[in-house]
Amino acid sequence: MSETSTASVDREACKGHGRCYMTDPDVFDSDDDGFPIVIGAARTPAELAELDRAVNNCPERAITVVATP
Amino acid sequence: MSELKDAESAEISYDFDIHSPDIADTVYDVYAEMREKCPVAHSPRYGGHWVATKYDTIHEVLRNPGVFSSESVNVPGTIGQDGPMIPIEVDPPDHQIYRKLINPLFSPKRMADLEPRIREITNELIDEMLKHEKVDFIDAFARALPSKVFLALMGWDLGDSEKFNHWADTIVLGEPGADEERATEVRTAAAMEVYAYFAEMIDERADSGDAEDITQILINGRFEDRELTQFEVLNILFLFLIGGLHTVQGQLAHTVIYMAEHPEVRKQLVGDLSLVPTAVEEMLRWESAVCPARVVKEDYVLDGVQLKAGDKILIPFASANHDGDQFPDPDTVDLTRDPNPHIAFGAGNHRCVGSHLARLELRIAFEELHRRIPDYRLDPADPPVRHLSQVKGVLTLPLIIGESV
Ligand code: HEM
Ligand code: SF4
Repeated sequence: MSETSTASVDREACKGHGRCYMTDPDVFDSDDDGFPIVIGAARTPAELAELDRAVNNCPERAITVVATP
Repeated sequence: MSELKDAESAEISYDFDIHSPDIADTVYDVYAEMREKCPVAHSPRYGGHWVATKYDTIHEVLRNPGVFSSESVNVPGTIGQDGPMIPIEVDPPDHQIYRKLINPLFSPKRMADLEPRIREITNELIDEMLKHEKVDFIDAFARALPSKVFLALMGWDLGDSEKFNHWADTIVLGEPGADEERATEVRTAAAMEVYAYFAEMIDERADSGDAEDITQILINGRFEDRELTQFEVLNILFLFLIGGLHTVQGQLAHTVIYMAEHPEVRKQLVGDLSLVPTAVEEMLRWESAVCPARVVKEDYVLDGVQLKAGDKILIPFASANHDGDQFPDPDTVDLTRDPNPHIAFGAGNHRCVGSHLARLELRIAFEELHRRIPDYRLDPADPPVRHLSQVKGVLTLPLIIGESV
């Protein structure tokens, strides 16, 4: 496993609740329609925990954590 | 393998009436019993319909619009609107086309621009409240805020807010105490007045030339290669009114009732307003007002129960959000709850388009209210009156300002 993680959003499942960019604005931002754009990665344990929180708050279960390419 | 149950199975029959005033105060206990005994239940009310009460089951319904159509989201079928409500009663693929047009109108960034205006409206209402020792929180705040904010968003006259509230109340609640026929009559009459008002706004704005004006964006909106009809624009605006006022009003009122009755939780919030964002999510989970229906389009087995094409099913989000299999300790309010993937705004393709606006209103309201009015309590001699219906709410909420229990 890589030490740097980022997010992959299933675009079919995602319905734009925005819980991800509210929870973890370092990894997610919103586009003009309120859908998420992945803008960053998580490295430190605190950042990784923050990313996990975003994953678990998504009501559509649309986010998976992936190793940064 | 156990036998499939169906509408005739006695063990899953449950006399649930979503409009009954008798269970307005106790509906969470009713849902708890249903989740335990008959998580997909059949109620004899309104010609017979299903009720699903588990989080995962409701999720399955929401994520499967091909089977569970939104062509009619009400039980019984109409609240006085003319034709299907757009986009809430439209199925894919058309639904997506409308949402592409509407989503940007309520985007988080656009809503953020409205923040100072919402804060100003909020504080004007609080200024007024602070002149009294006792207020009806509904009249003084919860009813006024969402309608004024909506009018501000639209760039219409804030002076029309009382008219708006009256229409929305009538359409959503009918006439308190009236029979079903009379209720339908007053709803239809109010809906006609709403359409007339919107038609006037459309005429006024047809060529305002303001590219940011929502009315104008809708009038110039396109459905694939044709323009939206006036009928469609009216229907979309109608739904903003029906969807955007009562819901926020109820959420404000439910939260204030809880905080009035639980001073230790309120003090926690007053002491640390940085808790407001998670507190807003927790209170949305705690009192999720909306309970839409879906129409079953083909025979389908849901959690071991055989549903038939043409059946109707209610999906109370309040019940999903109190499901202990999804939320540990679901009947406790935890202002720091995390994760909290509640579905108070629904899920799937009909996810509330106004959710970013609603969240902003709720955040600002709870920040300003608790900053300026740290203490308030209910009046035991004059308790709040709740109503159930498909958008649960509060009719009156007498509140004593400046005292705590
Ligand atoms: C706390 C406040 C609110 C709550 C709890 C709420 C809840 C909901 C829910 C649960 C749905 C989905 C219904 C379904 O799946 O059948 C929905 C849809 C909708 N809401 Fe809200 N809402 C709120 C505020 C607002 C506001 C402020 C507006 C806009 C002015 C709004 C406009 C809409 C619209 C237009 C839809 C239809 C979306 C679609 O079908 O694609 N709502 N709302
Ligand atoms: S929380 Fe989930 S559904 Fe919502 S915008 Fe983020 S990824 Fe999409």
